[in-house]
Amino acid sequence: MGIYELSLATIVGINIILALGLNLITGYCGQISLGHAAFFGTGAYVVALMAKAGYPAPINLVCAMLITGGIGIVVGVASLRVRHDFLAITTMGVGFLFLGFVRQQDSVLGGEMGLSGIPSIGLEKPAFLMLVLAVAALCTLFSVYIKKSWMGFAFDAVATDEDTARLLTVNVPVYKLTAFALGTAMAGLAGGLYCYFTRFIMPDDFGFITSISVLSMVAVGGIGSVPGVIIGTMLLTLLPEMSEFLSDYKLFFYGALLFGVMRFAPDGLAGVGSSLRGMLKRSGRAV
Amino acid sequence: MSVLLDVHNVTMHFGGVHALTEVSFDVQDGEFLSLIGPNGAGKTTMLRAITGVVSPQNASIKLAGQAIERLATHRRAALGLAMTNQIVRPFNSMTLRDNVALAVGHQRVATVFRAITAINRDTERKKAGELLEMVGIGDYADQEVLGQPLGRLKRLEVARALALKPKLLLLDEPLAGLNHIEAARFADVVVGINREGLTVVMIEHNLGEVLRVSDRLVVLDNGRKIAEGEPESVMRMPHVRAAYVGKEADHAAA
Amino acid sequence: MLFLELLIQGLIYGCMYAIIAVGLTLVYGLLRILHVAHAGLFTLGAYLGVIVTNATGSLGLAIPVSAMCVGLVGMAIYRLCYQPILSKPPYVALIASIGLFIAMEEIFRLIFGPYGLTYTQVPLQSPLSLLGMSLRMVDIFIVFGSVAMLGLLSWLAQKTRIGIAWRATVDDPQMAGSFGISVQNVRYLNFFIGSALAAVAGIFISLLSNLAEPTMGGVPSYKALAIIVLGGLGNVTGTLIAAVILGVVEAYGTIYVGNLLDRDAIAFAFLILVLMLKPQGLFSRK
Repeated sequence: MGIYELSLATIVGINIILALGLNLITGYCGQISLGHAAFFGTGAYVVALMAKAGYPAPINLVCAMLITGGIGIVVGVASLRVRHDFLAITTMGVGFLFLGFVRQQDSVLGGEMGLSGIPSIGLEKPAFLMLVLAVAALCTLFSVYIKKSWMGFAFDAVATDEDTARLLTVNVPVYKLTAFALGTAMAGLAGGLYCYFTRFIMPDDFGFITSISVLSMVAVGGIGSVPGVIIGTMLLTLLPEMSEFLSDYKLFFYGALLFGVMRFAPDGLAGVGSSLRGMLKRSGRAV
Repeated sequence: MSVLLDVHNVTMHFGGVHALTEVSFDVQDGEFLSLIGPNGAGKTTMLRAITGVVSPQNASIKLAGQAIERLATHRRAALGLAMTNQIVRPFNSMTLRDNVALAVGHQRVATVFRAITAINRDTERKKAGELLEMVGIGDYADQEVLGQPLGRLKRLEVARALALKPKLLLLDEPLAGLNHIEAARFADVVVGINREGLTVVMIEHNLGEVLRVSDRLVVLDNGRKIAEGEPESVMRMPHVRAAYVGKEADHAAA
Repeated sequence: MLFLELLIQGLIYGCMYAIIAVGLTLVYGLLRILHVAHAGLFTLGAYLGVIVTNATGSLGLAIPVSAMCVGLVGMAIYRLCYQPILSKPPYVALIASIGLFIAMEEIFRLIFGPYGLTYTQVPLQSPLSLLGMSLRMVDIFIVFGSVAMLGLLSWLAQKTRIGIAWRATVDDPQMAGSFGISVQNVRYLNFFIGSALAAVAGIFISLLSNLAEPTMGGVPSYKALAIIVLGGLGNVTGTLIAAVILGVVEAYGTIYVGNLLDRDAIAFAFLILVLMLKPQGLFSRK
């Protein structure tokens, strides 16, 4: 694998972790979040500051998860007050708040110019890729586990009809906060890994466009479906890179893809997958 | 006989509308009480106040002696209160069996730590099947909710409520939308459950069935309680008949 | 003096936000869709405004032409993009709209270049002195233009049969349908008016900065989203008031809180604060 391919694969791995985190919040628990990038950024900045202060990587990554998860709970509290479209805009606002705050802190956070000179994690590129993929695999297993557990059962109820869930003794607020805590912690972890990957971060890496990109990966893959989200992430990360001759039209095709999938296959790839399976089953019987 | 539910001085207004004004009544353990009254009398609001879906300006509500008016809905449910909705609200992302299984296993989701460590759903799904049998829809257990007829969904709501092993079952117009025969059958299912010892409070417009199955009636009109007592004597009261004339006569005739 | 200047500045921006936000809230009130692509129509309006003014020398011609064209494009977007997915969960329309917006921005960039278009001769730049402050004609034009258009819209909604049909459809589409109102036509009208207003707002911005460029729709549209939530999703009067309030809050905010948060973040900080206190917005849906 060349350097370019290694980097690409690493980014795909990081995006998968990020997308699975959002899938927990939005896909499993039904709480729409348009500000996921803020948590990605929080993780990155935590690791950047701690690494520059000389702390070792494992500590930094764990702190990134804990701190981001903690902030995620605070934002999750907002989700208890507002629902659906109000929540979408509120989380969007959280994203802008993060951005706006970081941009103005020139002294500690580097302001608009960001932070550079972040120390290396001490791994060569191939080894780092292995690390990222291992973490992505763990997150995948974790997501699948949650889905099978009673927590996943409760999440499903909350996502489908939270008022009825309450009538069935489900402590809806606690479950929403848990979803935010877990999903944002994952995003923080992804952010920390991203920081070690690029060793240079700036606010624009974590803006509204990034939040939308992650949401698109989840939606195109099929909200709530772990394999769908993974494939969707791979698709939306790799496709723009692969069409080199289209490089100037990259963003246009990205927008068109988003629109096209939502317009013609709103259940995402997972939906297409299950339709195909259904069709094959039926034709199998006919034969 | 002891009092299971004590509702005292419930007052509720939204904006300028006075939905409930100082309504008080109690429900004896094991009885079948029906809450009746013309449209807009505040019956559904009353049920919602009891479950905590709405917060009255003033209320004292006790379940088995414990004050619940300040508790969140899910806490009241955990204390033994179950309700079915006027407009059915099944979880349409799940099968009938899973709808009930979640309720059966409600202890498993009581805390997130318990929920994340519990995977097996077999016991609960089996029990769910039994409950669906009990209300007469066991055959459809593994079907999806989407596309089910209303009668079946209403029974699903009851099975789901029963799965909570409640002390008190609140039913909001369970017979609405059902034809004559379906309504009588469904009412019998509820009566059967009541005979097993479960206290039932039912809102219903179908006065024919109400008179047939209830132990006692409470009548609301314009947010106030205007009568209570044995079904026959309540329906003979002139002011009760007056409240209904023109509004409910058609329902009673049907 | 600073106080007054800030107030006026806040009012001017508030008017522009109001025009954009009204179109958004009209769509939301009717279809419950967050029509992010609205920002693309805003940009299209600005481009058309510049092109027609440069070609004919007349702003007075450019405004209605742009509004008309963009209104029609808006109707097409409804028919081709939103109508087929109305029954899907809300995030579907949201992401579709975002995809459409991104594609539109790119189309502007690909056709007209990344640096945008400018007026060959910017109209309404003559200076004006009011209450001791130095403004330009365009500032007054924007305020009066906005008020006039919103007044017209209000008159349409209250006094004409079309307006009454529209309000009935927003309240209860099924009932409106049974009264013989064509819900489809109301939706077309909705998109036409909302998009036309967005076009005019785009022209206003282009007059202020002498520029129509591909990314100009982004920030105003995010703020417009915040405004329609503040105003109580679907509540037109609430949206207008919220727009002006936000314009003013921003103007003061940048001075007093500017070292902590940048301008855009202030708008959202205000929004979140309000929503925590009043989850239905400042004025909840009527």
